[in-house]
Amino acid sequence: MKPEPLVPPVKVRDIAKPTPALSPLDLQKIVPLPPPYDQIDPQTLWKELTAERRQEIDASLDGVSALSLKRPEDPQEEERLLKGFVEGLRKLLSVENNWTFLQPLQLTLDHCTHCQTCADACPIFVMSGRNEIYRPTYRADVLRRLVARYGNGGNPIKSALTGPIELNWETLARLAELSYRCTLCRRCAQACPIGVDNGLVTHELRKLFSQELGIAATECHANGSMLQLRVGSSTGMTPAVVRDNIEFIDEEMSEKVGFTVKTPFDKVGADVLLLHNAGEILAWPENPGAFAVILEAAGISWTMSSDLVAYDAINYGLWYDDVQFARVALEHIKVAKKLKVKKIVIGECGHAHKALTVIADRLLLGEDNIPRESALTFLEGIVNSGVLKLDPSRNDFPVTLHDPCNIVRAMGIVEPQRRILRRIAPRFREMTPHGVENYCCGGGSGFAIMSPNNFANWRMLVSGRIKMQQILEAFKDELDPAIPKYLCTPCSNCKGQFRDLLRAYGAWERSRILYGGLVELVVNAMADVPPGFLEWEFH
Amino acid sequence: MLASRHVVVLQEGPMTVATIGCVVLLAGFVLGSLYKAVRYVRMPMHVRWELYPVAHEKGKVSYGGSYFEELDWWTKPRETSLVGEVKTIAEEVFTLKAVREHNPKLWLPSLLFHYGLYLLFLLGAALLLGGVADGLGVVGLGWLGGGKVLSRWGVVALGLATLGCCLLLLRRLGDPTLRNASSPADFLHLWWLLAVFALSWANWLVVDREYTVAAGFVKGLLRLQVGGSVPALFVAQVLLLGAFLAYLPWSHMTHMFAKYFTWHSVRWDDAPNIAGEAYREKALKLLMLPVSWSAPHIKGDGKKTWLDVVQERGES
Repeated sequence: MKPEPLVPPVKVRDIAKPTPALSPLDLQKIVPLPPPYDQIDPQTLWKELTAERRQEIDASLDGVSALSLKRPEDPQEEERLLKGFVEGLRKLLSVENNWTFLQPLQLTLDHCTHCQTCADACPIFVMSGRNEIYRPTYRADVLRRLVARYGNGGNPIKSALTGPIELNWETLARLAELSYRCTLCRRCAQACPIGVDNGLVTHELRKLFSQELGIAATECHANGSMLQLRVGSSTGMTPAVVRDNIEFIDEEMSEKVGFTVKTPFDKVGADVLLLHNAGEILAWPENPGAFAVILEAAGISWTMSSDLVAYDAINYGLWYDDVQFARVALEHIKVAKKLKVKKIVIGECGHAHKALTVIADRLLLGEDNIPRESALTFLEGIVNSGVLKLDPSRNDFPVTLHDPCNIVRAMGIVEPQRRILRRIAPRFREMTPHGVENYCCGGGSGFAIMSPNNFANWRMLVSGRIKMQQILEAFKDELDPAIPKYLCTPCSNCKGQFRDLLRAYGAWERSRILYGGLVELVVNAMADVPPGFLEWEFH
Repeated sequence: MLASRHVVVLQEGPMTVATIGCVVLLAGFVLGSLYKAVRYVRMPMHVRWELYPVAHEKGKVSYGGSYFEELDWWTKPRETSLVGEVKTIAEEVFTLKAVREHNPKLWLPSLLFHYGLYLLFLLGAALLLGGVADGLGVVGLGWLGGGKVLSRWGVVALGLATLGCCLLLLRRLGDPTLRNASSPADFLHLWWLLAVFALSWANWLVVDREYTVAAGFVKGLLRLQVGGSVPALFVAQVLLLGAFLAYLPWSHMTHMFAKYFTWHSVRWDDAPNIAGEAYREKALKLLMLPVSWSAPHIKGDGKKTWLDVVQERGES
């Protein structure tokens, strides 16, 4: 066999080189899946951007474009952008503009020893075939070098010690794209012996681009948080539409379960305000439906809100913009206060969990600090109370559990969902690894809603591939399509990713793997409900 | 002086240079470290950004659980364990657990290197203690003034540190990906330390096998004695080590104390803001800071505060 030619690895400073692609995705190097999925040629899942499209947008990082950035039209515009970036660096390191994350960021910038202990913890780096630009330290080092050379006037000694870098359009555009090649899962931070957090660097870079230059993923910003603040939801649903849809879901549920299910709206003084990711209402109506069934059967005093923003738990600002984050969080709290609820329960949506429960926590003062609880903990309370009669034999099929990063690694909610599953799903098995060491679904930090250009192809081939591998391993002895299997995923964003991922790899047709939430499984096990709540249809 | 018979072949340097240099450089180390630590301490409260497992979560740390797993968690007493934090930190410091689990190729070199440094630090502390004991007239600690025990201690410490340092350097130079991912500072630190170790070996071999010169120097240093002479090789070692220590606070090597912040103040900082009171004053002050982010949806003009901008809707 001929030895592979030695190609010098991409260097940090190469980010400024005016080449067509700094480090294109090499389909030959992508880690294979277990049989029979190893027969799927990555080429069939890949889409090369056309020459015309590459003229229009910058895909010079890896041949992929998440942001559809257009090259500056003239040197003046380029100069303005570069100046803006340097100004953004200054603000990122200032107390006034970034007190929210300054200490963790500065600690991370100051202490990486480049030991690469984090590298193998990153599923994107590993599954891409170890593409240097996806190495967790790569983007962090670009930032470190830029800070040393340009931040606050620059420091020549620090810059010499940190390493060479140039700031030009290529650096700026590639760094912006690179901040959308990490799902913020923070496995790298978990592995770091020092406590350096390269995931945080991604977060802070996205903030710099958004808050200073107005550069952000359209799906997260213009069609995400901006739309939510303007119309009420990133789905575009207005209050009237939400109420109509929920009414329709209630009717469906009532018919299926044999008793009346009625979702209360805007009930002042209810014990619980339930916040759903509004995407569930449109894409997976059985999820809010199952919640309603359980809460009604358990006799819980609860309500949803039809106020703008508050009928959608999402808070995309968490991934890219502190200001947008705070704006949405305040709207959620405002409504909870208005309804005088005892607590907010956050539905099966990982990032909404972390946003309102953890990140917003210290900003919620006095009566704004309404207790927030995870639906998983809340659900376990209901299951433990014995108010629901549960028949685990209804769920006698293989079940595995996906751990959403924001609920598990970022909040430590590990066992409630498992205790429920052990009770209602006799053939439950874990993925490896799981719990706080889980792998991201590959759609984290907004990726699941982002599919511009060929970004969805990259998501399937790279960011989601290790999870596909885990799912197949979990069901390895029962991949036969005659055996229906359930991938329990208590997170809307992850479900969006699984819908695309399982479809791309044909896992429904090949192996009958269905994905869905936890509440659906609970209702499916309710003895008082006619059998067959779960409909084995892939959507 | 306390020089051994070998010293006659060496040119002796003035004690003054070593003493003054050492004092200045050590002061640089102490002041630099303090500056850096105070800088982190004075940074404002950040939003929560914890990462599980959180080592002080009582009864849940083994699987990474948290108080959020409790129904109505805000009504229940929060149980934390300082022992959990100490245990985790100790495991990391003494076994380099994260490197062992995630980067096994680097573990042994790193372990040797760190143990060498720990023992060298203890050797320095022993010499210091010996100097203090001598000054106070404490009896029974004469062995800290130099001798066979310190000599063997030094050999083991220097041996481990040098071997670890060489192996780390070889890995950084020999592994193309590690070399590529390294910064100039990463190499500078290892080469610099290797030079310090080389001089230390030379001193041990030629000048000060039983650390009597070093012990005498520390005693003199404690009394701020100048004048007299010590071997030039010893002066060179002291100055090179001192310069390294003075530089250390400006490098990533402060991770030895920064861990307190990265772990305790960030990764494990899961203290909840119960009833919105715990952080009230701090948060109010921070929300009144001016914002100057320029994007169209913020339009921070340096006058509007955080409280102002978060209540706006912003333009697309």
